Amino acid sequence: MDYKYLAETAGKIPAADKNAVNEYREKSEYLIAGINKSMSERHDLKELIGENNLAMMKDNHANHVRFIHSILKNPNAEVLTDTVLWVFRAYQNHGFAANYWAAQLNSWFHILKRELSPESYRQIIPLYEWMQVNIPLFEKLSNKTTEPGLSNH
Amino acid sequence: MATENPILKPLLSGNHKASSKIVTDMMSESVPVKEIYERVLKPALYEVGELWEQNKISVATEHLASAIVESLMNEIYLQLRTSKKPEKTAVVTCLENEHHQIGARMVSDIFELNGWNVYFLGANTPQNDLLNYIRMVKPQLVAISLSIYFHLPTLESTLNQISSEFPKLQVLIGGQAFLRGALKILSNYPGITYLPDLNAIENFLIQYKHGL
Repeated sequence: MDYKYLAETAGKIPAADKNAVNEYREKSEYLIAGINKSMSERHDLKELIGENNLAMMKDNHANHVRFIHSILKNPNAEVLTDTVLWVFRAYQNHGFAANYWAAQLNSWFHILKRELSPESYRQIIPLYEWMQVNIPLFEKLSNKTTEPGLSNH
Repeated sequence: MATENPILKPLLSGNHKASSKIVTDMMSESVPVKEIYERVLKPALYEVGELWEQNKISVATEHLASAIVESLMNEIYLQLRTSKKPEKTAVVTCLENEHHQIGARMVSDIFELNGWNVYFLGANTPQNDLLNYIRMVKPQLVAISLSIYFHLPTLESTLNQISSEFPKLQVLIGGQAFLRGALKILSNYPGITYLPDLNAIENFLIQYKHGL
């Protein structure tokens, strides 16, 4: 039921138009640099990501932008839901704290607002809001095992 | 997670010799290469990925297991060689920034086993270089592997270029990126065939040979 809710609500996220998707892609390097800087400067970073996980956090941010661009370009509720669940599960298994997701998404809101035009921000932010409001559900569901062969790694 | 696959333990412990013996024994029992790939090596690699996800193995161990699998495929490849002159040509490749090449390599071997002359371009092939290579060798088929969903925009860009310059060229697509239903994108491109596994590829090649 929880999964069904996530997939259904993911399917209702308004699609961003081509200009917004292109702007997100064109500014992807700035977005990644911005989130890396913002998160790396946090005094509580070690509590959020665990020991020796800085490179993994930066990988996550780079993959996040590539994945979000793919989803904005080709919306797919099942892929979006499954991938976010996989990310929660894999990163928490490697020592990332549950609070990392809220901290990261809060930073994304600031960076997207700073880097994107107001119109692109308006079009893209519903996807981020969907991830943010569903953090508790993702945490709950991510404890279940991956279906064989569906690992994203 | 089940760990009944006998090759998993030697792969994770870096025991190349024991891994090789499992494959050699299967070949001496005339187990088809496709079955060794589909029933032993592929599930083992999936399990390795899941063990990383669960933080039960490191990236180093994962890379070690993958490297052993590639060396086992080299051993298998030596026995694939045939004196028959191939009649058809295929290009098998991974997309730009796609670093998972073992699946594509398995596809390449299935082509060879079915009498094709194959150019396997490997991981992370730049789009322009792929197009240049197609111009150069003029294949009958191109097979593209995609393991990660976020490479879909690159796939679309590549398919756009291929269909524009080589409208009659048949393209096969496969890989883990499609397991969650990214297939509807492919319907936008004529001449694209999605093949989910090595069995489907072999069936396709048999039908292709008979002009079906």
